[in-house]
Amino acid sequence: MNGINLADFVSAMLSAGLVAAVPLVLAALGEAVGERSGLLNLGIEGMMLSGCFFGFLAAFNTGSTVVGMLAGIAAGLLLGLLFGFLTISLGVDQVIVGIAITILGGGLTAFLFRDIFGRQNPSADVSPLAISVPLLRDIPVIGPALFEQQALFYVAYLLVPVFAFLLARTRFGLNVRAVGENPFAADASGVDVFRTRYLAIAIAGGMAGAAGAYLAVADLKLFQVGMTVGMGFIALALTMVGGWNPWRILVASVLFGMLRSLGNGLQILGIDIRTEFVTMLPYIGVMVALVLLAGKTALPSALGIPYARGRR
Amino acid sequence: MNLDLSRAIRRLLAPGPALAAVPGGVVAFAGPGRDATAPPAAAARPGAAVGAEPVVRMRDISKRFGTVQANDHVSLDLWPGEIHAVLGENGAGKTTLMSILSGMYQPDAGEILVDGAPVRIDSPADALAKGIGTVYQHFTLVPNLSVIENVVLGTDTGPVLDLAAAEERLAAMLGEFGLDVSPRTEVRHLGLGTRQRVEITKVLSRGSRVLLLDEPTSVLTPPEVDGLLQILRRLRAQGVAVVLITHKLEEALAVSDRITILRGGRVVGAFGPEQLAAAGHDAVKQQVVARMFGGTPPPDVATRHGGPAGGSLLRLRHVSARGGQGRETLHDVSLDLRAGEVFGIAGVDGNGQKELGEVIAGQRPATSGQVLLRDHDITNLGVAAALEAGIGYVTDDRLQEGSVAAASVAENAVLKSIRRKPFANGFLIDRKAIDAFADRLVADYDVKTPSSSTRIGMLSGGNIQKLLLGRELALDPSVLVVNKPTNGLDLKTTRFIVQTLREQADSGKVVVLISSELEELLDISDRIGVMYAGRLTGVVDRKDATAEGIGRMMLGEAGVARGAVPA
Amino acid sequence: MNQPSRLLRLAPLLSSLLAILGAFVVGGIFLLLRGRDPLAAYDILFRRGLGTSYGITETLIRMAPLLIMSAGLLVALRAGVWNIGIDGQLLVGALTSAIAASAVVGKVPNPMMWLIAAVAGALGGLLWAVVPGVLRVRWGLNEIITTLMMNYVALNVTAWLVKGPVKDPAVVPPQTRLIPLEDRLPQIGGSGVHIGLIVGLLSALAVGFLFRRTVPGFMFDVLGRNRAAAIHAGMPVNRLTLAALLVSGAFAGLAGANDILGVKGLFQGNWNPGYGFAAFALVYLARLNSLWIIPFAYFLSFLSIGGEMMARPLNMPTAFVDILEGLMLLFFAVAVYLERRFLPAARLAGETETGAVSTEDPELNPLGDAGPTTGHGAALAGGGERP
Repeated sequence: MNGINLADFVSAMLSAGLVAAVPLVLAALGEAVGERSGLLNLGIEGMMLSGCFFGFLAAFNTGSTVVGMLAGIAAGLLLGLLFGFLTISLGVDQVIVGIAITILGGGLTAFLFRDIFGRQNPSADVSPLAISVPLLRDIPVIGPALFEQQALFYVAYLLVPVFAFLLARTRFGLNVRAVGENPFAADASGVDVFRTRYLAIAIAGGMAGAAGAYLAVADLKLFQVGMTVGMGFIALALTMVGGWNPWRILVASVLFGMLRSLGNGLQILGIDIRTEFVTMLPYIGVMVALVLLAGKTALPSALGIPYARGRR
Repeated sequence: MNLDLSRAIRRLLAPGPALAAVPGGVVAFAGPGRDATAPPAAAARPGAAVGAEPVVRMRDISKRFGTVQANDHVSLDLWPGEIHAVLGENGAGKTTLMSILSGMYQPDAGEILVDGAPVRIDSPADALAKGIGTVYQHFTLVPNLSVIENVVLGTDTGPVLDLAAAEERLAAMLGEFGLDVSPRTEVRHLGLGTRQRVEITKVLSRGSRVLLLDEPTSVLTPPEVDGLLQILRRLRAQGVAVVLITHKLEEALAVSDRITILRGGRVVGAFGPEQLAAAGHDAVKQQVVARMFGGTPPPDVATRHGGPAGGSLLRLRHVSARGGQGRETLHDVSLDLRAGEVFGIAGVDGNGQKELGEVIAGQRPATSGQVLLRDHDITNLGVAAALEAGIGYVTDDRLQEGSVAAASVAENAVLKSIRRKPFANGFLIDRKAIDAFADRLVADYDVKTPSSSTRIGMLSGGNIQKLLLGRELALDPSVLVVNKPTNGLDLKTTRFIVQTLREQADSGKVVVLISSELEELLDISDRIGVMYAGRLTGVVDRKDATAEGIGRMMLGEAGVARGAVPA
Repeated sequence: MNQPSRLLRLAPLLSSLLAILGAFVVGGIFLLLRGRDPLAAYDILFRRGLGTSYGITETLIRMAPLLIMSAGLLVALRAGVWNIGIDGQLLVGALTSAIAASAVVGKVPNPMMWLIAAVAGALGGLLWAVVPGVLRVRWGLNEIITTLMMNYVALNVTAWLVKGPVKDPAVVPPQTRLIPLEDRLPQIGGSGVHIGLIVGLLSALAVGFLFRRTVPGFMFDVLGRNRAAAIHAGMPVNRLTLAALLVSGAFAGLAGANDILGVKGLFQGNWNPGYGFAAFALVYLARLNSLWIIPFAYFLSFLSIGGEMMARPLNMPTAFVDILEGLMLLFFAVAVYLERRFLPAARLAGETETGAVSTEDPELNPLGDAGPTTGHGAALAGGGERP
């Protein structure tokens, strides 16, 4: 292995990892708000897949990345509100509702895609805005990886400090943390538990939709049935690995993005490895990360438990 | 039967306020809505800021849960600058009444007036906005948030938190209540007494004119109780209407200007400031007791065993253990317990008593030290083996830990013995044997249940507790550990349980009674050990024990009574 | 008042049927919005699925794996363990049974070969459940995440194995050696339905027996309803949790073996029937009752077969059935809410930490007040459990 190859390898890995991490960051940031408020959103996979499809559909018909992203966000948000209605207002078990939404999202997108496009697999004709930062992009190795990307890439990473501020320093963030830890106390202190949780799940759903839309509209520009292959669930696990802290979620997501793109990197190095092994690395990686962190992160106390006033 | 009709009949049969015979006759009984609601004479209590009209009036409040009429036409007036005790046994409807006032529940009937105007209190937030603040029995602080975050939680000061400004505003108030903790400390690191003051600060910082406190002394040591009562008196002087919800008579008499007594969901007595001031302490006490318990005051449980205890049965050697959060909460406890004794363990909640009981019963691993039963080492054998060795354990959490609410009485009766004969025959279970056993327990321990196939979650706490105690005794343990066995139970059941425990000791067992009720401990214990901060700070013989002495030891002062040498 | 009324006892069943009805109505509206005639679609679905012998035969064949899987899933869910990895366990079981069957076929009598392949399948599924099981009891990792992850790992591992190590070298496509048609599972009296269905029915009965008559079944129920109480009572909670996962994994593996021996004859790369979600939906619709899963398994099989049969003439994507399944589970959630709201007795009737209201116990007491419900927060937290 010579020096040029290694530099190429690091650059390619970093670049591919950062790009692959974008949907994970988006979905996991939203999920962190949801889980902090006490909602375990197993419907995230269905929400993300819906974001993919409706984002793609809108982008395909309008040719606009922005419209595609907005459509994806709207789809995730609506499913999030459905999840919220059943688990917050009706107090039904979150795992059952989450799985139902994942099944529904999978069925709905597969049906509509085949119903609308038949046997075709068209691409959306969109050209997402790219931003290339002069000077910075010329930094060796990390320059192209960090400063020659499309606009949505920067938006996603800018959301990390935004979410960190939101959770730690705003009234809404304080309410979210209180509601997930002790909803009774929050209620008695005058926090509207239901409103806070609805807002949190709307954010979680919208972000999952955004993650899906990014994947289908900005990244691949096409839709495939079941194209998220568990990425929503991985994002859900990453929020736990990251301990609901946006900065740590960022680190975890980038590491997993790099795992996902490891195959390409290894090919650059001239190492041939079965694609199946590369594909399953992120799933195994999540389990390993959770084992390494086992017992180090405390789940929000009220996670998964519906709140009803007068009952504790 | 028509419910309204049955209620009407009951009300006809019940002695009305005017008809109630007053033993002693010293204090005139004032019915609800009459004399007791008259404005207090300002002269009666110099220094108190008393208003001209009640800040809150509750009128004919009724609330029903399923088959239980929790509140039945209850009326209550709260005056500014007064401490008003709402007194009653467990289950008398005190907490329901206060939950209605604090917006947790909506009443089925009746009205609430604030400053003379009828209002509807939709939520706790709404109650706070109307100046009604509540300090709940289980504090409403979020453990993972800091003191200041808890204080500002739920207030509206703009979308972005400015904790520094909030700290400044609240510094004076925090100081007034003797809170010398940093406002940035997470609440989970604070003791229960401190948490309560944070809670009071939080409620008052919202400008509450009415302060409801639900059983505020249940987690405090006697000196801490004095501190709390001082604070309440100060608030009274500032014109706050303080409501003290309690089942403890002495406490109510010590500070109250007005006492309302609830029983079975109805107001059965009300004493205004004049009556309390005019009559002597004992006379008032006699009156109050009569109303609380519906007639004659209950006799004391005179069951303490006088004879000498037997030989050594259970020994602990330098036992330490970790608590739920992984910190060591039990340090180096040694004990020598003799057959035939009730060994009481006193202490404020959270000082290692629960962990001690759990270590003995195999429910919690000891990190060091030994537990010896008849010189056999039973340390860390686990629950099943400890049970097999003869250690019984009745938990203080009978609903979440002791029983399975969704399972039947019969299934709960064999929860700990399902793998034994005759309930199990190898791999198979024998439902007939289980039912027969459950029927016997129900009969022997007077468990009130429609049948043994009824789900246990539908029974009252007292009946569940009797079944759990019977379940343990059916295994014939030689050591029985019980944690707060009478918590939340009515007097009759309490006496039944205490009596049963004493009898079990008299038959040669060791009974370890963990309790925060000093009276109960003094009633039946042969010796009392006191725990503070995870250590056994002293062991006192019953004949040398006084409530005051034990109270001081619960605060961490070394054993002061004679014979207080750690075993 | 001790004897509950008949209606009340049937209330859970009725609300499950209402959930199904609700799903069909909303699914119909959806079809209408897509410019299709829902009545015509449902007409074909029911006429072909329920009314033709082909439909019935195919439904009964499909019912076998679904029923076997559901029986195992029921054990996990009743014990409060979220085994969402049954699809992966089925895949691994199918592959191990295909390997075992092709190794011994022709060398031992067929019944012996079936037995070996069935055991191999069950072991394969069990093995796949060992990973999340150990992660749960040893490190306290929430099994929801790990079983989900293991599904995706299973897809890749089986795909890799049939491409290389266990591939039939005689053919090009990645697959195991084909078991000849005459060596597959025999039919039940020439009905066209192989005996896997009987295995399915026996599975349901065995699980029913487990819960009604055995010590482990009793302990599973206690664990599922209140984990803290099971620990308090000295039950071997970790072993029970592991056992529940392994049992459900073994049943899922057996279901995989059933499809290999009865239907497919070989394991192809990237084969993934995805029965898991249907099993999940039907076990809840059957209210975690071991006997009720039988009719509901028939119904879900009919839906999936009927869905395939109606797709072709109507030129409609088969995914419509997935939509119906998702809707059923959503309406089931609403039905549970309505029951709790309006039939307070149902509230205490067997709530488990896996969120369901089970009806295994024949008695539903009509008396009663709201009782404590157990969220699965405790199960999620997992760690910190005492050995």
